[in-house]
Amino acid sequence: MSETSRFRSLEGGHGALKGAQTAWDMLSEEQMQKHITTGCEELDAILGGGIHCKEVTEVGGVPGIGKTQLGIQLAVNVQIPVECGGLGGKAIYIDTEGSFMVERAHQIAEGCISDLLDNTAHRLKDFPACPEILQPNSFLANIFYFRICSYTEQIATINYLEKFLEEQKDVKIIVVDSITFHFRQDFDDLALRTRVLGGMSLKLMRFAKKYSLAVVLLNQVTTKFVEGSFHLTLALGDTWSHACTNRIILYWNGNDRHAYIDKSPSLRSATAPFLITGKGIRNATSHCKRVRMM
Amino acid sequence: MEERGRVAGELERLIDGGTPHKSAVASQVPMPPPRNPRSAIHAKSPITKELGEEDVGMEEVSVVIDGRQPSWLNGVELLEDAKWNKHVLPTGCKGIDILLGGGLREGQLTEIVGPSSSGKTQVCLHSALGVADVHLGVVLFLDTCNSFSPHRIAHMVNSQSDTLVKEGKEGRLKRIMSSILCHSLFDIFELLDVLHQLECKLKHQVKSSGNRIRLLIVDSISSLITPILGGKNSQGRLMMITTGILLKKIANEYNLSVLVTNHMVGGEGGSLKPALGESWKNIPHVRLSLSRDQGSNVCNVSILKHTIIASGRTAKFVIDN
Repeated sequence: MSETSRFRSLEGGHGALKGAQTAWDMLSEEQMQKHITTGCEELDAILGGGIHCKEVTEVGGVPGIGKTQLGIQLAVNVQIPVECGGLGGKAIYIDTEGSFMVERAHQIAEGCISDLLDNTAHRLKDFPACPEILQPNSFLANIFYFRICSYTEQIATINYLEKFLEEQKDVKIIVVDSITFHFRQDFDDLALRTRVLGGMSLKLMRFAKKYSLAVVLLNQVTTKFVEGSFHLTLALGDTWSHACTNRIILYWNGNDRHAYIDKSPSLRSATAPFLITGKGIRNATSHCKRVRMM
Repeated sequence: MEERGRVAGELERLIDGGTPHKSAVASQVPMPPPRNPRSAIHAKSPITKELGEEDVGMEEVSVVIDGRQPSWLNGVELLEDAKWNKHVLPTGCKGIDILLGGGLREGQLTEIVGPSSSGKTQVCLHSALGVADVHLGVVLFLDTCNSFSPHRIAHMVNSQSDTLVKEGKEGRLKRIMSSILCHSLFDIFELLDVLHQLECKLKHQVKSSGNRIRLLIVDSISSLITPILGGKNSQGRLMMITTGILLKKIANEYNLSVLVTNHMVGGEGGSLKPALGESWKNIPHVRLSLSRDQGSNVCNVSILKHTIIASGRTAKFVIDN
């Protein structure tokens, strides 16, 4: 690229650099941005309103803690209509383990709709179209489901997502459950794995920024031997831990499920309890005993 | 290699474009690549003394060659340049500023290394805020992991503005935030493109304007380089070193400070070491290592490498909420 053509390309944009924005403009955009509610008010509170769009959030935890439940809940909650305070968008669910249960998704969608109709009945009276949109089947129809069986399929799907997102403009969340499964076994060349994962995380960051959507990656835990003792850490190593914008760890505290903000550029570290009920993820009320899902 | 080819071509053009018999002389006297351009050109070889027109051609050639290479400076000129042009930019984190003897120095590439969630992005946001606040100039934040948070900067500004009477809170916030530019990139080639555009823009910019770029932050450079580093060919390492050299060149020529962040990987025995390997180690002028205990606000920073201060010195600073 010759110098003159480079100089000509600077004319557009901010004048300083093509494509750069001032922090003031970004602040105004951020304040108008809606967040995706998780269903539990305390969890939303520590997240600053919910899962942020334009960011990659990693959720990790031991098996059985509720990661897939959270993933399904977010895929449903993103479809809450704009009139009721949600985003009114669609969801992409990339399933690598086969843990997505359609009946459970239907149950969660029903729970979400019944809560919406209870809480925001006064707003819904003004919008007669709502009852048709608020059917569990239409919620299920807005979740685009991809089933992945190997790491090459995972890489290929993420490469293909760009074209998919160009066609489907309404997608507001991508849930990958789980991002680590196919990379943990059968990978002999660890250096290659680091490179591939690094490239994949950059692509997901790009989608989040370009299409203004939220990316939620569910991760498993593994044990790590550090200084003579075993620790539980997230899988895929140190390099992967830098590939997300925010990280939430789900853990057991006695008999209760808690969520902890491990990494965030703008939120302070905090914990919040939550509950998994038949309707999905809800607030933990202190006098309730632990309710097992399904 | 390209540069030499271009210079050789222009030399040929000048020599051939003069009198017709000059080309015969030029082919008989092969010019060695000039180590010191002025001395090699101005030293008259015995053959050229006889031909008068040769001197004119040599002057034109010397102008071309001088234009390609930066001029030589002696020690006194370097000291003057360091004193008057290369100022120190405070980061706003007291521990780091005291450790570094003032803050980030212009003309230098500073690297912050640390494990995940140790405070690297917070230090970058603090530095951006500090430089934009004191009317020092514009800050350019190149973000590769979507971690630039305007909301967090606004929070930091509002928690600091207690003693100001003249400017309203809103006005100060707007002024500071308008001096911070953020650009997202997700590719090493995009980074190189942005740096070349920046170079062009800085070349044509008025030196004393208030909108001068003072601080360039790349957070994090390691996430751009990790996907291309390693493997069978060394293309990745080439791009990494090219980027490092370009950053240092921009810092030195246009008097701005560059701050990059890097992450850590596991080394021998389970200890952590900085990522990007041995080749990257020599590129930054200053390397700082950050660490933070789980659940506390206090970060420890230590010097891994510095041009003046001894390495191994440590300090603590607090990330306030």
